[in-house]
Amino acid sequence: MTTTLSVLIVDDDPALLQALPQALRLRMGGVTVETAESAAAALERIAVQDYDAIVTDIKMPGMDGLALLAEIRTRRPDTPTLIITGHGENELVVRALRGGACDFIQKPIDRGYFVAALYRAIWAHVQNRKAKDRQLALESCAEELERIVQKLEREPRAVSGRAES
Amino acid sequence: MPETATQERQAAVADPGAAVTAEQRLRAHVETLERRLRKRDDQRRAMLHIMGDLSEFNKRLANQRKAMLHVLADYEQDRRRLARQTERLDSSRRALLHILQDSHQDKLRLEASRKAMIHIMGDLRETTAEMQRREQELRDKQEQLVQAGKLATLGELTTGVAHELNNPLNNIGLFVGNAVDLIELAVTEKGQIVRELGHAMQQVSKATEIISHLRTFGRAAPVSREPISLRQVIERALSLMREQLRLREIEVTVDLGLEEPVVLGNAIQLEQVFINLLTNARDAVAEAPRKAIRIACSTGSGAVDVSLADSGHGIPPGLERRIFDPFFTTKEVGKGTGLGLSITYGIINEHGGTISVVSPPGEGATFLIHLPLAPAETEETSR
Repeated sequence: MTTTLSVLIVDDDPALLQALPQALRLRMGGVTVETAESAAAALERIAVQDYDAIVTDIKMPGMDGLALLAEIRTRRPDTPTLIITGHGENELVVRALRGGACDFIQKPIDRGYFVAALYRAIWAHVQNRKAKDRQLALESCAEELERIVQKLEREPRAVSGRAES
Repeated sequence: MPETATQERQAAVADPGAAVTAEQRLRAHVETLERRLRKRDDQRRAMLHIMGDLSEFNKRLANQRKAMLHVLADYEQDRRRLARQTERLDSSRRALLHILQDSHQDKLRLEASRKAMIHIMGDLRETTAEMQRREQELRDKQEQLVQAGKLATLGELTTGVAHELNNPLNNIGLFVGNAVDLIELAVTEKGQIVRELGHAMQQVSKATEIISHLRTFGRAAPVSREPISLRQVIERALSLMREQLRLREIEVTVDLGLEEPVVLGNAIQLEQVFINLLTNARDAVAEAPRKAIRIACSTGSGAVDVSLADSGHGIPPGLERRIFDPFFTTKEVGKGTGLGLSITYGIINEHGGTISVVSPPGEGATFLIHLPLAPAETEETSR
């Protein structure tokens, strides 16, 4: 992960949008943090940029975190999304995880936990991507092999046909 | 006599001397006879008189008999009438007797009633005392109910408030954490650290404000009456509800006018009125396509009118009167206590005001509050 990471934070509380990016900048060197004050604004950002991770609050006026999560899953299915929930909102947590969130962070946010969760999500995302790349490479290898096998199968037949005549 | 005359004539023929005597004797005899005849004639005439008189008398008698018959008939009629009257009298007498008996019984009953009445009066006196005691008890209970309702409202508010408190707390943690990180990273520039701590301080005061407001609201303060600004009351109620309304995307319009209405009352109680009405409106618009609440206020001479309208589905016809009843709720079990509006009603009543609701079909409900303004001289001490 030598390239700079980019993270989008979505929350309707301007104070949190000041505090959290600063915490990430201090704890995750070289990370680029962008913020959006609403789900609608976040979707605009997502359209133009592929983030390494998205962090969104669950309770927001207008489109809430769960609806945003569903949108992200259709527009950027590979981008890991983390959900911020209030303390004890277990039902929402379960719904978020079922909706495809890769992790959840409870308020008040523990910065260490948050950074670790974010790293884990990004790492998992990168590993996933790597695995996919390898799978693609393997698939192309398999196809190549298949082609060679088919070619070899055709050649002996030609040889044997010549021998019989 | 003829025989005697014949005999005398025979004798006269036989004896002429004797004939003279016989003649004399005969003459005397004739005279006697004539006398007698005359006498008899007189008698006959007298008899005829008497007969005439008798006939007259008889006629009179017949008349009298007829008259007598008339009299008798009259008498018979009278007698019959009398008999009937006697009969009637008799029945009247019997009726009178009955009436007398009844009246006696009535008197007895009246006496019994009088006695019962005395008992009842005694009971009534006891009941009145009991009533007064109960009334006092009721007043105490009412106060407890208001407090209970307040706590119930507080409970309902807690969820929203917890979210509201969690945010500044979370932000404080982050800002302070950032400051700690900056110090640990040995950042020499003080300004950056101070900025983080300054942000944290702002969040602390935000949290403090919420908590102190909740504390004032929940306190079981003695119900005092003082001049209070209605505008402030409405704004404070809104500040407690704002987060909940915002998260539900409920558009709130407040038009309090340019006046500063001051009423004589209890700020906490009146605040509860508006929190209750806002909570109600919040639930009423939950399923509505357009979610809006409008609070308007107009101050007249001596009174202020506040209206709180929502864009919900309104109140079903027939329930307008019942919604202020205690424990009446249309919400699901466990969602509403059914106390909010009855407490609201009680508080407004205690403030000498009225509260009513109008809900035209197809529109949301509008609650109308009418409160008397504080007398002018007390307004100076408001706030």
